[in-house]
Amino acid sequence: MIASPGRRYSSTRAARWAAFAFLLILPGLALAHIGQGDLSGGFLAGLEHPVFGLDHVVAMVAVGLWGAQLRQPAIWILPVTFPLVMSFGGILGGLGVPIPGIEIGIAVSAIVLGAMIALAARPPLWGAGVIVGVFAIFHGYAHGAELPESANAISYAMGFVIATGSLHVLGILIGVINKWQAGEKILRAGGILIALCGIYFLVSRFIGD
Amino acid sequence: MRKFDLSRVASSICLLSFAASAHAHSSVKGVGDLYAGLLHVLTGLEHVLPFVALSLLAGQRGMKLQAEAVLLVFPMALMLGAAAALWLPPLHGLMFFNMASAILLGGLVASAWPLPSAVFYGLVAVFGVSHGFANGEAITGSIKAYLFILGIGLAGLALLAYGTLTVDFLLKRKTGWITIAVRVAGSWIAAIGVLVLATAGKSMLSS
Repeated sequence: MIASPGRRYSSTRAARWAAFAFLLILPGLALAHIGQGDLSGGFLAGLEHPVFGLDHVVAMVAVGLWGAQLRQPAIWILPVTFPLVMSFGGILGGLGVPIPGIEIGIAVSAIVLGAMIALAARPPLWGAGVIVGVFAIFHGYAHGAELPESANAISYAMGFVIATGSLHVLGILIGVINKWQAGEKILRAGGILIALCGIYFLVSRFIGD
Repeated sequence: MRKFDLSRVASSICLLSFAASAHAHSSVKGVGDLYAGLLHVLTGLEHVLPFVALSLLAGQRGMKLQAEAVLLVFPMALMLGAAAALWLPPLHGLMFFNMASAILLGGLVASAWPLPSAVFYGLVAVFGVSHGFANGEAITGSIKAYLFILGIGLAGLALLAYGTLTVDFLLKRKTGWITIAVRVAGSWIAAIGVLVLATAGKSMLSS
């Protein structure tokens, strides 16, 4: 077979046009979705973010524990409303709306929630809702400010919400021991431990760094 | 010896890989675009999440009572929206609207508020068309539109049918914590939607 110069030129030109057309399609594909990119990586990053921050873990488990202590209907109102309020805080953090003392608020949340559990406090439902809601905004804000732009936004948010919600569920499951008298005491002792963790976070916020 | 023609080798490798991908998907020639449509929905979390929320909402209403027709209305609305995308120019803010559908539908599941049927089917139709349109925008070039659109409808039907029937079955057990678990799932989906929009807003502000 003899390849004439003319034919050869046309085949390379065709290949170039194909490559060019392919490149034109690429940015269109990328813009057609919100969650583009590293699907599993984004999910894992979102999943481990709440779990690796001890201040967050302690407060989330405390929400579940307190809910279990408060029994019906708080036990289910808290885990239903918390993610929604937290994501609202996430918007404030993501948009950079200035709220001072976020880190202090997070440390205080562990102290207050720990104290509530230790005292087995039973405020009216709206009071408990307001306390947990305010802290949910603090926690959401801190995470919103740290939202990564490189990872897949949707799978990151999925991992993040699932991890946070699972910590509530963990707290509620541990809170089942509240049924027994000895369990009630252990739960209140756990509240003291959570409050101590909060004091540690608060002190390290001022001394550390 | 003849001169080594690089571009010809490259293009034949390219063609070989096309053939390989075609063979890996369809056993019947020419139906690959059906799977493309199906997968375009199923691999897009911005569609799967609201669809799951919708199936939770439909399951909450109860299959026997007022949700049966959703299995017909929703896939139809999806295909209608996808077909509309063939004629109309692309809508740029649509992905945010579609993400917002996850927030609204998830929030409704979390609140467990009994929606009037007209409102429920209104939402089903509007979100069906909007998600269908977003998927229909992917129809380009040599894709067989009718197969791709059929795939979109099938994906919507499959997700919705499995989700609705599962939730309906679980809620019929009349176990208190399952009822709450469904509402918590709705709240999680809504929270995910809000966080995604927050991320999108953040990256728009910084760019």
